[in-house]
Amino acid sequence: MAPSVKRSELIISLGVLALGIFATVVAFRLPEGGGYARIGPNFMPKVVAGGLVVLGLWLLGEVFTGGWRASEPDDAVERGEHPFVASAFLWVTAGLFAQMVLIQYAGFVLAGTVMFACVARGFGSTRIVRDLVIGFVLGLLVFLFFVKFLNVGLPAGWLEPILGTAGT
Amino acid sequence: MSETLTALANGFGVALAPLNLLWGFIGVTLGTAVGVLPGVGPALTVAMLLPITVKLDPTGALIMFAGIYYGAMYGGSTTTILLNTPGESASIATALEGNKMAKRGRAGPALATSAIGSFVAGTIATILLTLLAPVVVEVALKFGPTEYFALMVFAFVTVAAVLGSSTVRGLTMLFLGLLLGLVGIDDQTGQMRFAFGVPELMDGIDVVVLAVGLFAVGEALYVAAYQSRQEEKLEHMSGSLWMSREDWRRSWPAWLRATAIGFPFGTIPAGGAEIPTFLSYALEKKLSKHPEEFGNGAIEGVAGPEAANNASSAGVLVPLLTLGIPTSATAAILLAAFQNYGIQPGPLLFQTQGALVWGLIASMYVGNILLLILNLPLIGLWVKVLKIPRPLLYAGILVFATLGAYSLHQSVIDLLTLYVFGLLGFMMRRWGFPVAPAVIGLILGPLAESQFRRALAISEGDPTVFLSSPISVTILAITAALLVVPLILRLVRRPKVESSA
Repeated sequence: MAPSVKRSELIISLGVLALGIFATVVAFRLPEGGGYARIGPNFMPKVVAGGLVVLGLWLLGEVFTGGWRASEPDDAVERGEHPFVASAFLWVTAGLFAQMVLIQYAGFVLAGTVMFACVARGFGSTRIVRDLVIGFVLGLLVFLFFVKFLNVGLPAGWLEPILGTAGT
Repeated sequence: MSETLTALANGFGVALAPLNLLWGFIGVTLGTAVGVLPGVGPALTVAMLLPITVKLDPTGALIMFAGIYYGAMYGGSTTTILLNTPGESASIATALEGNKMAKRGRAGPALATSAIGSFVAGTIATILLTLLAPVVVEVALKFGPTEYFALMVFAFVTVAAVLGSSTVRGLTMLFLGLLLGLVGIDDQTGQMRFAFGVPELMDGIDVVVLAVGLFAVGEALYVAAYQSRQEEKLEHMSGSLWMSREDWRRSWPAWLRATAIGFPFGTIPAGGAEIPTFLSYALEKKLSKHPEEFGNGAIEGVAGPEAANNASSAGVLVPLLTLGIPTSATAAILLAAFQNYGIQPGPLLFQTQGALVWGLIASMYVGNILLLILNLPLIGLWVKVLKIPRPLLYAGILVFATLGAYSLHQSVIDLLTLYVFGLLGFMMRRWGFPVAPAVIGLILGPLAESQFRRALAISEGDPTVFLSSPISVTILAITAALLVVPLILRLVRRPKVESSA
């Protein structure tokens, strides 16, 4: 039986190799400037980049000689899990990006509330109102603890009239 | 010896100062509370709680961290026993028997033996740390850059290549961590490397963002995608919390044996607690008068691994404090916490910052006592924490994860980086790449590079300097053997494997 090549393993191996080659190119553009040591800031980058190239080739070698060694089964059920749920993955992602967009305008508490509800949705929660309320309360408690008690700056955003200009 | 006792006594003076005692108390409580959360291991707990300490003085902050470190370890074992989802590889052995005991209605004694065992092992291991640290410091003071470099290479290879299921995937993660460690300004020449003109990259990649991204965001994405539609089984706390006379008789020898196994394994760079917990489990199974109970909830099978886990986490602090070399992901993050205060652990630290180091060590004795007092009565509370529905739990974890990343520089770029590392963490979990080598590579890589260049600067570029010191030659030879011997063995065996396939 010819060894079957797994596409995911092939792509990741090529990715590691590509990263190594890219790092090599960048490393060779760094200046020498060795001083007494005769090696400069470009030496370690070359070693690390070269290492990644070798490891990429090594992974690639395993792909074509029967697949990666000691790897997890591809079938989620065999791993004791359920098949990939794309919507769950995307809801969590959406929550994190919503927070990135909102945090500078709406502030930490409101951005965190939106993220909290999105992530909970991703994990299968259908009680949106409950999630929003809990997310808001948690965000507010964390905000007050960090800003008032620990002096860590966090943006208040749209809630500034209520929370005051704390932090940044 | 008497010097050590004087230093330790002064350390207790620091650790028992009311404010420091308070920080220690907050540390163990938060560490336990966060460590109890399923899917949150000690490394993530320490990383997520790092920003809490930014405004404290170094001594207070590090005392709090020691508490978080021990608390997280303790909290993790509660989760393992009641939920059978080991948060980290070091808890797998505990899960084998602990969860079985809980299923048979003996959750109480399982939690008690793990709490008291952690206390006994933690305290003995801290005594050993107290005695051993000054000795290692004496030796380490004679070390030059070549010896340090050899030790760091040894740590890299054991963590990345020897432990874990695949040498090549471990090394890939190590080199990825090393590459990330190169990002930013080279501190010897001021040369900008791999920053591509992005201001946020010029400061380098923060270990908190990497660790929280890989552990928290990666874990959340993975669990959402592959496990969120499954039911979780939480064992009920029923029956007595107290251990019977028989339980005590079977537990205490296991605690002591496990401490003897766990502490030495922690001190050598062998990747923390995973190996000693399994060794202890195997030993207890072999020595037990009730081998038939193993697999059905034998108390020695909980007492041993839990004690070994705690003893080795105290052992890990020996190379961390005396040499500045982290040998587990958690220790790497602790090192980052030191660096945040401009403190570089190592032999000199014991001379220049004696009060801080000995205060820290003394606070570990105090922390162990606090944990014992705190946890036996509060087990009921931690069980309630475990009942938080998974959607709310992970949403909450991500609130803290993003808080930690954002509060570093108040920068959205850090949140984006966090998500990118989260994607990476998802892929690593799915395809079996270990996290610890990446974290250790990021934090230890720059230190290894600077020792390497310092050694060559002293020898004026002569690379044989690394072979001129007997210590460094020995360490490098062992390292090479660890890396090469398994490969040769595999090449020798390969024809048989292929013919049988």
